[in-house]
Amino acid sequence: MTGLEAISYYNGWAQAVAGILIVMAGLSGLSFAISQLHRVAALLEGRKKKPAPEETVLVPEAETVSEPPAHDLEKTIGAYEDLVRRLGTPFQLSELYRLCQERGFTHPYMSIKALQEAGVLKPLGDGAFTWQP
Amino acid sequence: MDLLIQFLTNTGYYLGDWRNWTMIVVGCFFVYLAISKEYEPLLLLPIGFGVLVGNVPFFKGFGLGIYENNSVLHYLYFGVVSGVYPSIIFLGLGAMTDFSSLLARPKLMLLGAAAQAGIFFTLISALALGFLPKEAASVAIIGGADGPTSIFLTAKLAPHLIGPVAIAAYSYMALIPIIQPPIMRLLTSREERLIRMSEPREVSRVELMIFPIVGLILCCFLAPASIPLLGTFFFGNILKVSGVVDRLAKTASSAIIDTATIFVGFCVGASTQGDVFITPKSVGIFALGAVAFSIATAAGVLFAKLMNVVLKEKINPLLGAAGVSAVPGSAREVHLMGLREDPANYLLMHAMACNSSGVIGSAIAAGVLWSFNVH
Repeated sequence: MTGLEAISYYNGWAQAVAGILIVMAGLSGLSFAISQLHRVAALLEGRKKKPAPEETVLVPEAETVSEPPAHDLEKTIGAYEDLVRRLGTPFQLSELYRLCQERGFTHPYMSIKALQEAGVLKPLGDGAFTWQP
Repeated sequence: MDLLIQFLTNTGYYLGDWRNWTMIVVGCFFVYLAISKEYEPLLLLPIGFGVLVGNVPFFKGFGLGIYENNSVLHYLYFGVVSGVYPSIIFLGLGAMTDFSSLLARPKLMLLGAAAQAGIFFTLISALALGFLPKEAASVAIIGGADGPTSIFLTAKLAPHLIGPVAIAAYSYMALIPIIQPPIMRLLTSREERLIRMSEPREVSRVELMIFPIVGLILCCFLAPASIPLLGTFFFGNILKVSGVVDRLAKTASSAIIDTATIFVGFCVGASTQGDVFITPKSVGIFALGAVAFSIATAAGVLFAKLMNVVLKEKINPLLGAAGVSAVPGSAREVHLMGLREDPANYLLMHAMACNSSGVIGSAIAAGVLWSFNVH
């Protein structure tokens, strides 16, 4: 049996429509659930932390680096060189990300990607990198 | 002299026919693509060499072939037909997947759902071409572009089709750089391809830890047949994000997944014995696989465009193509196409979000198809 007759006989239309609807419903539900996860996380973290006087971490003026625009490779190299110097080489890429986050960089992924593509950040394997400007 | 003739008539050179030689050429081509072109070498090299091994002609009854009881290959193949290897691969995949970009932008998950439309369109097409329902479901899952899921579902529904389905699924995954870009280009304008995605918000560790539990409960309760895949997938992920069992996470994401990948690739390749593989059905499966994969890509892109009609913050519609679960091939292709249009437009992490959503979507689809055809 072939053609439309086979599709109808084996309930193909219903299977296809129900199938795509179930997948859509499942992932939409999951999408909604994870869109609310940050609230749950905030609630859990709020309970965990005892109210304490806020500590202000002061970063010495000399160590602050302003974030370079991602498309300006020279400025990016300049800004990241300072961070890498603090880590020493070889260093773990996760450590560099952490340092970027501490500095409040908003697009470290783009900058680090650009540095990798320019060959300034050389992978050594297992997440370790070296700096070769 | 008789002894010599008897020996010669038992050699592969004498026993082989055109089907074995055809498959040996195919196997060599896969090995060539893997080594020379580096097209998905982790998959194509084991499969290609497996095709060569599986197509060495032998005297039936010696317990040598993959389909002969008590042969070594038969025991290794058990991991494929029982669905053990795909489950193990999903464990490793979970331990390798970083969901932070998906958690930061949950709406990208819908693209992973839309791309599964290819599966269900192919289901109808396969039924129309005369495949039986269980066979049609096995062929349709190729549209998910997920090798382990395809193998898993086919092992459960139509084990006799594992060879062609797996080879088609993995071949199309390897051919992503050829199949997807023309579809993406055709369905998007330059302005759309230039859309930049904003930097995702930072995701806390608690969110990352809650996600596998929420994901498991939502997805597996909806489609319990996806437990063997999604159960291990989310388990692997919690090993990674918990931060307390780094050794286990590292082993799952390296040694364990590598071992399963080696055996699944090799066994699937070896299961393509010319006499059982080269049939009109296999040709139909390959043709439908290409259609499924193309429709999945197109559905993702078109759904992204549809989302842009209602969304305030536009998303780059190229990301829809990464809704298929070929990790990380399709995400890489989306990223490269974005870079070609604008060298400062980095789409990779957003595309990986769609990709990981596609993995979950195709596993749910497999569970749904299995439950539709369980009797």
